[in-house]
Amino acid sequence: MRLRWTLVAAAVALAAAAPLALAGSTADPGVTSTTILLGGTSPLTGPAASYASVARGAKAYLDSVNAQGGVAKRKIEYRIVDDAYNPAQTVQAVRRLVEQDKVFAVFNTLGTEANLAIRDYLNQVKVPQLFAASGATTWGRDAAKYPWTIGFQPSYAAEGFVYGRYVAQNMKKAKIAVLFQNDDYGKDLLGSLKSGLGRSGSKIVAAEPYQVTSPDVGSQIAKLKASGANVLAIFATPTFAIQAYVFANRLGWRPKVIVNGVSGTSNIMVLASEGGKNRAVEGSITTTVLKDPTDPRWKNDASMKLYRSLLSKYAKGANPNDVYHVYGMAVAYETVGVLRRLGANPTRAALMKAARSLNDPKNPFLLPGVVVKTGAGDNFPVQQGQLQRWTKGRWVPFGGLWTSKRN
Amino acid sequence: MKPRTQRTIGFVAFAAFVVFIAVLPSFISDFKARDYSYVAIYLIALLGLNILTGYTGQISLGHGAFMAIGGYTTAILMAGNEQFGGPISGGMKDLWTLPIAGLVAGLVGLAFGFPALRLSGLYLALATFAIAVAMPSTVKRFEEFSGGGTGIQLFGTPELTGSIANVQVLGRSLTPNDWMYYLAWSIALVAFAVAWLILRGRTGRAFRAVRDSETAAVSSGVSLARYKTLAFGISAAYAGVAGGLFAIVSAFVNPDTFPVALSIFLLVGIVVGGLGGLSGLVFGAVFIAFLPLWAQGQDLGSLLPDRIVEETKKPGGPAIVYGVVLILLMFVLPNGVGGLFRRAGQLLSRRRYSPPK
Repeated sequence: MRLRWTLVAAAVALAAAAPLALAGSTADPGVTSTTILLGGTSPLTGPAASYASVARGAKAYLDSVNAQGGVAKRKIEYRIVDDAYNPAQTVQAVRRLVEQDKVFAVFNTLGTEANLAIRDYLNQVKVPQLFAASGATTWGRDAAKYPWTIGFQPSYAAEGFVYGRYVAQNMKKAKIAVLFQNDDYGKDLLGSLKSGLGRSGSKIVAAEPYQVTSPDVGSQIAKLKASGANVLAIFATPTFAIQAYVFANRLGWRPKVIVNGVSGTSNIMVLASEGGKNRAVEGSITTTVLKDPTDPRWKNDASMKLYRSLLSKYAKGANPNDVYHVYGMAVAYETVGVLRRLGANPTRAALMKAARSLNDPKNPFLLPGVVVKTGAGDNFPVQQGQLQRWTKGRWVPFGGLWTSKRN
Repeated sequence: MKPRTQRTIGFVAFAAFVVFIAVLPSFISDFKARDYSYVAIYLIALLGLNILTGYTGQISLGHGAFMAIGGYTTAILMAGNEQFGGPISGGMKDLWTLPIAGLVAGLVGLAFGFPALRLSGLYLALATFAIAVAMPSTVKRFEEFSGGGTGIQLFGTPELTGSIANVQVLGRSLTPNDWMYYLAWSIALVAFAVAWLILRGRTGRAFRAVRDSETAAVSSGVSLARYKTLAFGISAAYAGVAGGLFAIVSAFVNPDTFPVALSIFLLVGIVVGGLGGLSGLVFGAVFIAFLPLWAQGQDLGSLLPDRIVEETKKPGGPAIVYGVVLILLMFVLPNGVGGLFRRAGQLLSRRRYSPPK
């Protein structure tokens, strides 16, 4: 008896006693004489796995730069880790990237919730959260509080406002039904759609949330149809956006559809149109800032030819019509530009400084006229876009480039 | 070999394991210590689940939900939920939230034990699975209480010991990762000892009696209602403590921290570790903590052919590797690692089981 308790006590005491703690960290890890290490999470599996192409496109571009000698004689290594679109996994993966792999910067991590989950941590350990792949407004708006975080794409606030204003100006007394993802991403779009409508006669008559972990949005679409709305706004991730179209069509509902940009890419629309059988797709409205590889306008465009050749060379088997690859290349192009400006001795602080003073009117993967610009209190790299309408199997732009002055 | 000698061997093995745990951080990188603290967390949850499933014979596919209850209890007591419009102001130091996390989850477990009395086998598995499925949505539903899908951030809060700065313990300076490691393993080892004490006596005997034959148990005077609910309560309390620790070590909780898959992984963990044994569970815990990483070609990447590592990087790759490894393991070790231990023990003590002729 006594022996047992002694052993249990000894075990507990031993467990609490601590051997030598490891010490030490060096300034600005992740840079060697031959490499710069970037790392980021991407949903390679899970409900948003279609976004994996963002990281794949970026990697293909960076690999092509490395093949030409890299930046300041350093190769850019981009380590992609799966987080299954689950922020809890993002947190662990990013801590691993920072503390074990010792990345120079966390780059191109995808998802609003994922980036929110790691922002406090990265800002406390002062590791750049470079070009977060999310349009949440907070990246630019709260830059003073989170100096190590910067986004890239137009904010969802700007995007939602553009849709609101479009409806207000083009439709009288529209009744809008909204399907939105029940997180900061969906709510950001929903809130700004409301402010874009302003005092026009159009209003939101129903808004149905869905959980990103749920299997489908069938019941939400049925409820939205029952609201008697004549406009359906889909603020969703791609899988659910496709489902929304399919269910609406099955119910015989033919509203005018607005689909948010990151789910309204042409490859998604082709899937949603079910080989042309789904007529709910025709006439949909979205906004984009990227050159669409399926758009005949860019058939002979030099940068889109480059895009195709890089993709076939560095991302074998990748579908070139998937626009997310273009996004990945656009953000990688900008990153290479930023890294070049750091010169021979890159530091994390200099990286953030460069990212906060961008002025690039020539990103070849973005629409002509789009300027990637930050500085003087502006922390939103891209603030422009182009409205477009799905017409006979492809996106057709209308109106000029819009520029957001409100974020 | 006499049972007495066998027990002494057990104690020596446990003491050796404790020493191993105590010195391990000196031999691994600072960050790896953090990975191993998750092993301790899963071990706690597996100990609890094995009391219920391995010893009492009640299958639970919902233990991730009990971990969620513990995790959210800890997170809300630490950070409060006033920022979402809830009633709790928080401010409790991380360590003190753990007993409460265990208590709250344990009470919920007890409460669930009552309806579970009427269910058995497959039906119980489905009922517990339902809580696991409902938990993430329920957490999101009560946004003002739980922070909704965005979750609760604990990193950098004053309640969390060791966000960035080193922690002073017993005159030594520990890095945050080493601190989490020792915290989690101290609790796990105590939990191990407590589980052993519960199972070796009258209560453990009653649990096993319920598992082996309910009819026989009742006719020997064992109250089914009492012991089944007790097993549920104890088991959920273990899960609650594990969930609380998970929140502390991750410094973050959101509804997807405790997904449906977690409940299934826990069951996988006790099967890999060996049902109805305690020591094998350490391997079960290692399995669920590290296999998702290995399946992505990390850490072990240098040991595998490039061709395979490349496959794991593709969309869906990790899930396939995980499945294949699990199937192989069940072929090689049908009774889990614990079964292997028992077999080795039998061989050593030359008491090989020979089937009755």
